[in-house]
Amino acid sequence: MNGEALLSDTGWSIGSIWFVMLAAGALTYLTRFGGHILISLLGTIPPRASAALDAVPAAVMTAIVAPVLVSGDWPERVAIVVCLILSLRLPLIAVVVIGTAMVAGARALGL
Amino acid sequence: MAAIRALLPVLLAVLPFGIVYGAVAVQEGLTILQAMGFSATIFAGASQLAALQLMGIGAPIWSVLLTVFALNFRHVLYSASLSRHLGTFSGPQKALAFFLLVDPLFGAAEARAATRRLTPAYYLTYGVLMYVGWQLATLAGASFGELIEDPDAFGLDFVLPVYFLGLVMGFRKRGLFYPVAGTSLVVSVVVYWLAGPPWHVSFGGLAGIAVAAVIGPQKRVDEVAREDKAGGAS
Repeated sequence: MNGEALLSDTGWSIGSIWFVMLAAGALTYLTRFGGHILISLLGTIPPRASAALDAVPAAVMTAIVAPVLVSGDWPERVAIVVCLILSLRLPLIAVVVIGTAMVAGARALGL
Repeated sequence: MAAIRALLPVLLAVLPFGIVYGAVAVQEGLTILQAMGFSATIFAGASQLAALQLMGIGAPIWSVLLTVFALNFRHVLYSASLSRHLGTFSGPQKALAFFLLVDPLFGAAEARAATRRLTPAYYLTYGVLMYVGWQLATLAGASFGELIEDPDAFGLDFVLPVYFLGLVMGFRKRGLFYPVAGTSLVVSVVVYWLAGPPWHVSFGGLAGIAVAAVIGPQKRVDEVAREDKAGGAS
C-alpha cells in the first residue's frame, strides 16, 4: 500500500503508531475526568485559567492551519481564503466539501 | 426514547466527520484497524485529525501527544461542570460517562439537567450510540479511502486544513477570539518560516493561549458550553 510507505518515510514505525494511539487515548480520558477530580479537590477553576482553557482550541487549530497561506501553491491559498469567507455563512461540512472540490478542480485543470 | 430523539440530528452532523477522518487516516498510511483504534481510544474528531496531520509531517511523538492533550483540554471544563449532575450514577457508570464525554453529549446532558434529573439511562444511551456511530463512520470512511488511488487528485490533502479553518471560525463569537486567533496565526507563520514543522503548532498555539491568560476572563463557562453544542464531535 502506498500509505504505509508514507508513514515509514517520516519515521513512524508500527509500534510507535500503537503507542501514540494508547497514550493519546489515555491523555484524552484524563482530560475527560480531570475536571471532576479538580472540582472535588478545589471547588472551582480560577477565572484566568478558565479563560486560557477556553482559548486552547482556537489557538491550536489556527496554528495548525496557518502555514497553508505560505507553504501551499496558489490554488490552495485562494481556496483557503474563499473557505474562510464561506465559513461565515455555511455549515462546516459544506465548507470542507466545497474547499476540497475547489482544490481537486484546480488540479484537474492543471493550475 | 428522549436520548435517541436528541441524538439523531447530531449524528447526521457528526458522522460525515467520522467518514472524513477514516478516509484521511488510511491515506496518511494507517491501516483500517489502526484508524479505528484511534477512534476507539480518543473518540474526539479534531484531535484525531490533528494527530494524523502531525504524524504525516514526521513530527516527534511527544509533540503529537502534547497537541492531542492541548486540543482535548476543554474536556476538563466539561467534566468539572458535568460532575454536579452525576449524583444518581454509580462509580462504574461515572467512569464510563466521563470516557464518553464529547462536545454534543456535554451540551445535551447540561440541557437535560437544566430541566430534570439527568439519569444514567439517558446519558449512557446517548453516549454509547454516539460512540458506536463514530466507530462505524470511521470504518466506512477507511474502507472507502482504501479504494482511492491518487488522493491528491481528489484534494484529500486539503481536507485537514479546511476542516480546521472551519472549526476555528466556529469559535469566532467567543470573547477573545480575534486576539487569540490573530496571535496564533502570526506566530505560527513566523515559526514555520524560522524553524519549520512541527514547532509552528506548539508555539503558535501557546502564544494564543498566553494572550487569553493575560487578557483574562470575558465570558462565563456555561455560555461557551452552549456554543460548543453546535460544534459537533470536535
